[in-house]
Amino acid sequence: MIAVLALLAGVLLGIVFHPAVPPELVPYLPIAVVAALDAVFGGVRAKLDGIFDDKQFVVSFISNVLVSALIVYVGDQLGVGGQLSTGVVVVLGVRIFGNVAAIRRHLFRA
Amino acid sequence: MTVPDPDGGSGKRTYGPDFLTALFQNPLDPGYADAAARKAEGRGRTGVARRVASGSTALMLLVIGFLLVVAYQQTVAEEPARTVARDELVDQVENRREETADLQARADELAEEVAGLREKELTGAALARLRDLEAATGFATVHGDGAKITLSDGPTSVDPVTGERRTESRVKDTDLQLATNALWSAGAEAIAINGQRLTATSTIRQAGEAILVNVQPVASPYEVVAIGPGDLAGDFRSGYAGHFFETLVARYGMAFDATEVKDVTLEAATELKLRVATPSTPPPAPSGSSSSSPDGSGSPVPSGSASEGGR
Repeated sequence: MIAVLALLAGVLLGIVFHPAVPPELVPYLPIAVVAALDAVFGGVRAKLDGIFDDKQFVVSFISNVLVSALIVYVGDQLGVGGQLSTGVVVVLGVRIFGNVAAIRRHLFRA
Repeated sequence: MTVPDPDGGSGKRTYGPDFLTALFQNPLDPGYADAAARKAEGRGRTGVARRVASGSTALMLLVIGFLLVVAYQQTVAEEPARTVARDELVDQVENRREETADLQARADELAEEVAGLREKELTGAALARLRDLEAATGFATVHGDGAKITLSDGPTSVDPVTGERRTESRVKDTDLQLATNALWSAGAEAIAINGQRLTATSTIRQAGEAILVNVQPVASPYEVVAIGPGDLAGDFRSGYAGHFFETLVARYGMAFDATEVKDVTLEAATELKLRVATPSTPPPAPSGSSSSSPDGSGSPVPSGSASEGGR
């Protein structure tokens, strides 16, 4: 409950403040979104499995965002930013799919 | 063995699945299971630590919600920038087109004015000579009887094996050059291909699949209209060019026709590029060497005009 409220509060803050993203951070935004979605779906699944842990959630989210941002940064410096971004999206996308499938099994028993 | 066996410690070595398989089979972070195990052992967080942990989760979700909205807004904000740039380019193109049309209209107006003034100033023989020159060089509209040569592409068959289009039956630039040269030599005074009047500097050339006359693309069917003596069409048909085109018709299925036409109008050539000009009254020549004064009669010979295509 608190979690949903916090999420909604974040959305509202974003709408109200409408922050301008610094141009040098723009390439990291999509990757950060994918990493965040991975953490959120992982957390929801753990909650449904009954093994949710706050510290694990926070640490996994932060580390996901940082590692994916680092990969994109290094990729940009090496000139293979696009390919490495694709790699990050594939790995995190696979995890999101797996976790959503588990959530679906929990909710619909199918 | 003091090192704990990662495979379960049963002593029997089992090979773990590789990274991708593990990713597909168990997408959940193993940390959750570890934490649950710690909790089950009774080492879970209590009191303040517990409250701090759930607070940090709430904070993290706040950040995530914020992030999602920012990313959405960013994506939405980038889209108009792209379309705006495109619209601006389209506007520019249209503006330039209008400008070109305006300038062309102004140029036509001025040319008319020049012609009017010239007719006012010149009289009799000079004016007639000027008109003849203009008609011969293609810079004046001419009316008269003559011949119309029609050429059009034959059927282009596709090779069933290679899928290549056979282009032998298409009219080539050389065919049009041959036709115009034949017309000039048969006594034509003015020629236009699909409305493009030929001048001394006209070109008929192939650019890829298109044929350019005066650098303007023309397409099949090609109508070569010439003004000249009454038997122009008959001469053309019985001459070398006529036989050549008959052969093409028989072999490749092109269409060819040469008919007489009455009272056709050929528009003037569109562009007039003045490259060399000499004063009509030569300045008094320095004593002794008058032989180097340039010949003022630079009128182009029409029969040479169509040969610029490099035959």
